Amino acid sequence: MDFARIMTIAVSMIFINNFILSKFLGLCPFLGVSKETKPAVSMGLAVIFVMTCSAVITWSIYNYLLIPFGITYLRTITFILVIAAFVQLIEMVIRKFSLALYRSLGIYLPLITTNCAVLGVTILNVDDFFIQGKPIPGSFFFATLQAFFAGVGFLLALIIMSGIRERLELTDVPPSMQGIPIAFIVASLMSLAFMGFSGFKF
Amino acid sequence: MPDKLIVSTSPHILGCDLTPKVMWSVIGALIPAAIASVIIFGMPSVKIMAVAVFTCVACEALIQKLTGRAVTIHDGSAALTGLLLAFNLSSNVPFWIPLVGGIFAIALVKHAFGGLGANVFNPALAARAFLLASWPTHMTAFTRPFAADAVTSATPLMMFKEGKVGTLVEMGISYWDLFLGRRGGCLGEVCIIALVCGAAYLLWKRYIWWQTPFSFILTTGSLCWIFGARGYFQGDFLFSILSGGLILGAFFMATDYVTTPLAHTGQVFFGVGCGVLTFLIRKFGGYPEGVSYSILIMNAFVPLIDRYVKPKIYGTAKAVKG
Amino acid sequence: MKRLLHEFTKGITIENPTFGLILGLCPTLAVSTSLGNAIGMGAAATFVLVCSNTIVSSVRRIIPDRIRLPAFIVIIATFVTMCELIMKAYAPALDVSLGIFVPLIVVNCIIMARAEAFACKHGVGASIFDGLGMGVGFTLGLCVIASVREILGAGSIAGKQLIPGFQPATVLILAPGALATLGLLIALSNLMKSKKSTCRACRKGGCG
Repeated sequence: MDFARIMTIAVSMIFINNFILSKFLGLCPFLGVSKETKPAVSMGLAVIFVMTCSAVITWSIYNYLLIPFGITYLRTITFILVIAAFVQLIEMVIRKFSLALYRSLGIYLPLITTNCAVLGVTILNVDDFFIQGKPIPGSFFFATLQAFFAGVGFLLALIIMSGIRERLELTDVPPSMQGIPIAFIVASLMSLAFMGFSGFKF
Repeated sequence: MPDKLIVSTSPHILGCDLTPKVMWSVIGALIPAAIASVIIFGMPSVKIMAVAVFTCVACEALIQKLTGRAVTIHDGSAALTGLLLAFNLSSNVPFWIPLVGGIFAIALVKHAFGGLGANVFNPALAARAFLLASWPTHMTAFTRPFAADAVTSATPLMMFKEGKVGTLVEMGISYWDLFLGRRGGCLGEVCIIALVCGAAYLLWKRYIWWQTPFSFILTTGSLCWIFGARGYFQGDFLFSILSGGLILGAFFMATDYVTTPLAHTGQVFFGVGCGVLTFLIRKFGGYPEGVSYSILIMNAFVPLIDRYVKPKIYGTAKAVKG
Repeated sequence: MKRLLHEFTKGITIENPTFGLILGLCPTLAVSTSLGNAIGMGAAATFVLVCSNTIVSSVRRIIPDRIRLPAFIVIIATFVTMCELIMKAYAPALDVSLGIFVPLIVVNCIIMARAEAFACKHGVGASIFDGLGMGVGFTLGLCVIASVREILGAGSIAGKQLIPGFQPATVLILAPGALATLGLLIALSNLMKSKKSTCRACRKGGCG
């Protein structure tokens, strides 16, 4: 695999097309879990894990099941069910094997099911790496990578946001701006700052 | 119930009389560069600076009146924001660019967060990023220095980015030109010697510390020297420092009290981070210059840096920095 | 009848999904670049919302409580797929400009939230009106944001140029503009609410 393509996907997914700051996917957990850094990190790690695994599973299902049977129009319904089932499964497995891990990551898993970022990345993968019902060369690899880095971008935005919001707790934000509005303003300014990465080429 | 204990973010020590003193000193330190910009770019420069400063001060006064807070325009922070914003603009922008930028900086970046000391991002730089995203044609049309008829010209970094010219000789300018400010660019960034004089004054008075600017400049310069050109160690160290807005950004905007780390170790991290980002944007990014974006991005990381690199509370000899 | 009317109007006013409940933000930001997109998205979401509310409400006594959520997801996803196919067939241009946000209506929290919080507890009639009210409220919220962004960011409304010579702030069409516009509009609605009453709980909302 050529290094430049990998770097391009990484920079694009983490900074330029950051899922939260530029594609508006996964805003709900972004606002809900970004009040403190610790849960934000846990949530972000859980999202990276679920996104990468979902990308692997949905890519396989799309390529080996939906395309051969000509039922690609069932994409949305299949993907959301597979993701929901997978998340449930992971939750049960984690609870069974490691209670500590369940306490730090597991409680965020149900939230991820309805996280549009996970479904979003799987649909984007299908849009980006299949041309006329055929996977492009390296499609599986790129899809997995894209999902992984989208998760990393999500984690990054979540960590930064949680740091800023913890600091904002101590400042005298005008009453009508407190909470959600100021979080949006921060996100907007972060997104403005990340525009510095636009046009990155390797 | 009135609280006796007020929990607030840093800077704590900057009390009633220190803030104006520092702010006005920084403005004073920027005066040489302001004069230089008038000499280089002529009257448009005066107009832009006046509009930006006036807008910022008026906007701050208006917001503080409307929200029923004490009006603090005499502390000079709004005026400083305005001046820095003007310094980040090209000399032939229409008058409403500094106007809109000033309102954005003061209303959205500063007072939405609760005013001085609460803002996370540098208001002037955020306003510049906003203007650049909104009106890119106005923001990237630079005037040639000493040209009465407002001929547009590219900045040295833009020429370098386009890849047509690789060396100073090919651009037809010397290090001396860069040092004095005989080049296209934003109002405040061109005259290096004036900026350095101002910065030296602030360093001498200990209003700013050397950690951030020096780590920032050295990181950018070294990275551009090592990786900036085709082969390793072929880049131009001096050119990378003197062109663009590095000196202005490193000394006057990456040292802002509110939006940068408190501890000296944290400041070094901040400076190195800015330097790396600036280099990456210059080398790989879509924009020719990355100083303002890199400072903005690092601003977002400041709460995290501050958490993991705690400032020394006792034992620092001079705690002016707060 | 009065009760049905109440179910309808509450979605538009006090329980407005965008400004009151703060739900369904992802599509709100992503497709509010122009008024046309906003109306298209609003109509699609309303369609899915009304249909899913109807079905969920009518099968609410049959579905065992434990598999409630998966069942809801299947119902919603079915209608979203229908919506996708209809849009591809009759409004291909809209489908292209809304992009992946059409399939993503599945995970729009408004629809799930209404199924869970309202439709599975109320009758079919009330659920239809609730869905309709929420859908219209969502569409109106979208239209407000889209108008602000399109007028200031592109100098036009529904594709028509407004003032010749006005230089629009392109950033409002881009991501930072979307986030800032929504933040300021929610702040504005908070301000108006706090003038009316001291509704401090409202701003603590948010889904997820």
